[in-house]
Amino acid sequence: MNSEKVLFSFFMILALTLNFGFFIGEMDDPAHHNVYELFAVIIVNLIATILKFGDRSRLGPMLLATSLVALVQLISAALVWTFVVHIQEIELTANATVLIVSLSGGAVLANIISVILLMIETTMLRR
Amino acid sequence: MMNNEEPEKQETSEEAINPVISMIMSRMRVPLIILIVIYAISMMGLILIPGIDDQGNPWHMSIFHAFYYVSFTATTIGFGEIPYALNDAQRLWVICTIYMTVISWLYAIGNILGLVQDPVFKKARNENKFKNQASKIHEPFYLVCGLGETGYEVVKALTNEHYRVVVIEEDQESLLENNIYDLQEFVPCLIADASAPKNLELAGISRSNCNGVIGATASDETNLKIAISSKLLHPEGKVVCRSDLLSYEENMRSFNTDYVVNPYNTFADIFSMLLHTPSLHLIFDWLTGAPDSQITDEPLQLDYGRWILCSYGRFGKALYQKFLEHDVEVTVLESNEEVHEGFVRSNIDQSQDIVIGTGIDEKSLKKAGIDTAVGIIAGGDDDSNNLSTIMTARQLNPDIFVVARQNLRGNSELFNKVKADLVMQPREITARMIRVLFLNPMLCDFLKIANKQDDVWSNVVVSRLSAVIGESKPHIWTIVIGPKETPAVFKAIAFGRTITLDSLTMDPLSSTSKLECVALLFARNGDYQIMPDDETELKDGDRILFSGMREAMNSMNWTLNVMASLNYVMNYENEPESYLLKALMRKRFKGHERRGANR
Repeated sequence: MNSEKVLFSFFMILALTLNFGFFIGEMDDPAHHNVYELFAVIIVNLIATILKFGDRSRLGPMLLATSLVALVQLISAALVWTFVVHIQEIELTANATVLIVSLSGGAVLANIISVILLMIETTMLRR
Repeated sequence: MMNNEEPEKQETSEEAINPVISMIMSRMRVPLIILIVIYAISMMGLILIPGIDDQGNPWHMSIFHAFYYVSFTATTIGFGEIPYALNDAQRLWVICTIYMTVISWLYAIGNILGLVQDPVFKKARNENKFKNQASKIHEPFYLVCGLGETGYEVVKALTNEHYRVVVIEEDQESLLENNIYDLQEFVPCLIADASAPKNLELAGISRSNCNGVIGATASDETNLKIAISSKLLHPEGKVVCRSDLLSYEENMRSFNTDYVVNPYNTFADIFSMLLHTPSLHLIFDWLTGAPDSQITDEPLQLDYGRWILCSYGRFGKALYQKFLEHDVEVTVLESNEEVHEGFVRSNIDQSQDIVIGTGIDEKSLKKAGIDTAVGIIAGGDDDSNNLSTIMTARQLNPDIFVVARQNLRGNSELFNKVKADLVMQPREITARMIRVLFLNPMLCDFLKIANKQDDVWSNVVVSRLSAVIGESKPHIWTIVIGPKETPAVFKAIAFGRTITLDSLTMDPLSSTSKLECVALLFARNGDYQIMPDDETELKDGDRILFSGMREAMNSMNWTLNVMASLNYVMNYENEPESYLLKALMRKRFKGHERRGANR
């Protein structure tokens, strides 16, 4: 068993599960989507992305690309949140919530692709 | 099946990734993850610890503010306690935050610096940089392998003529010694083994604009490999290699290496020129010398008589053959018994020519008959011995003609001081020949033909040359009559005008004076005419070799390229160039076949 491989898969799957946890719930209800969960999703996604740096496997570039897509989606969601709460200084509206949640939904998709690629690579690896 | 194919594919995909970027990425993985984790922990702490705002209400820092706070503390900027003054619990956490983040930043930066210092990374970066620089050269360029004394001379000569050059040198020391950043053109340099085809490929040997490869490394083995690789990778390119040993020379010639320069044989040829016609040697020296060298217009004067040749190695052998050819008496001094025996065995008729002795002491020089000799050649491969021979010989016979072989460049001072009449430097001679071969191949033909001429002829040439160039080193250039190279002349010939060599040597600034240059050789369809007549008529495809001042070449370029200048030197009235003037003047010239007619 390769501990590096465990860590790698752990963070990739954690990125997906946390992301999914944030995404699930009523689209326009701010109470269903916790800001700290989004924070955790971003941190875990960042770590997952960096773990893919310099990955020498054949699917490495694809894995890195999916992670970068997820990151872009999540950071835009965080920026929208910051803009509404700190710059407009109002409570989170239903409109803003829909935007944030749909952005994170895109990130879920990217993370799913990432995990599928990971599975493909694992099954292709025959010893 | 699949398993067999997989590793191969993997290799090709790895090849495509820039090694520098992938090295940075894999090295930065750990520091970046540590940084993110520390940031996350610090932010979480700031968010969770309750604070009190300016109105005294309980307050929690938002994620946005926490990120802002950690960002400016971690980078040691420190804007203060924002947005509200912190309480002591928060301050305790901030202390931890500061130390954790600053240390993780230092670790990350240290890691980057360590990577930059890493020799493997440096090599990858240099290679990458070199590849970029070399691939940006779109004009014709030359590839010089080895940047020793020879290589540097060649690179300097090529860049002075504004050719682009790419250099491969294995030794970093010689790069420091020969500064390539002072040259007229930027020279990309790769620190690598030139005998590896991979490195030659990296330098662009197989690119179509690689005009030639010069193997000027110190090792014959490497030069041989360079010659083979370049003939296989880029057969159309010209290859010139330096070679000291006969076996390598023959090997190189066996697969059509364009030129092999052997400094010892070349010097023997030069020396034979000197024995035969001293003024021819002077012409050779003028035309092939380094651009910044000093010249004299007095040919070296040799007396007829017996010579002494010290040391019978590669150099001595080449010279001895020349002495035999010219039927000049010579005594060979050689200390090695085996060489002595070998000499006697192969030259039975001349066995009285060799004397055993080192040549550095009075006794052996006297044994060789120094008192009655006219010249001595100190041709050993050790500079101190050669210097010692010269000094001893001078003491015994002050009027003797001295030829010295200088092996190391660093000893130039000593050889200047000892005032040898002729100093032979293997590297300088190689550089001289390569310069001729690449810059003016026609000069080779000129020298070949000149070698067959007699003393009277060369004396005339010397006086003609010295009248034009005076004391300075002449510049040599070749012109080719053609639509691209000389548009004005080509056009005029197409109109049916007669253009002679004389017109080209007129000054385009004042029609009464001539340019300071001499036509050395005229070539048409493989026929050569040495020192061509001024009345020679020019045709498309003619090649002419000129020697003269650099300014003369620049002025001549005006005549060759600009119709108005050509008209001027030929006393033609200028024709209108613009559409408006052409239309206005058409009436005036109606009926005249002006361009076709000669004045």
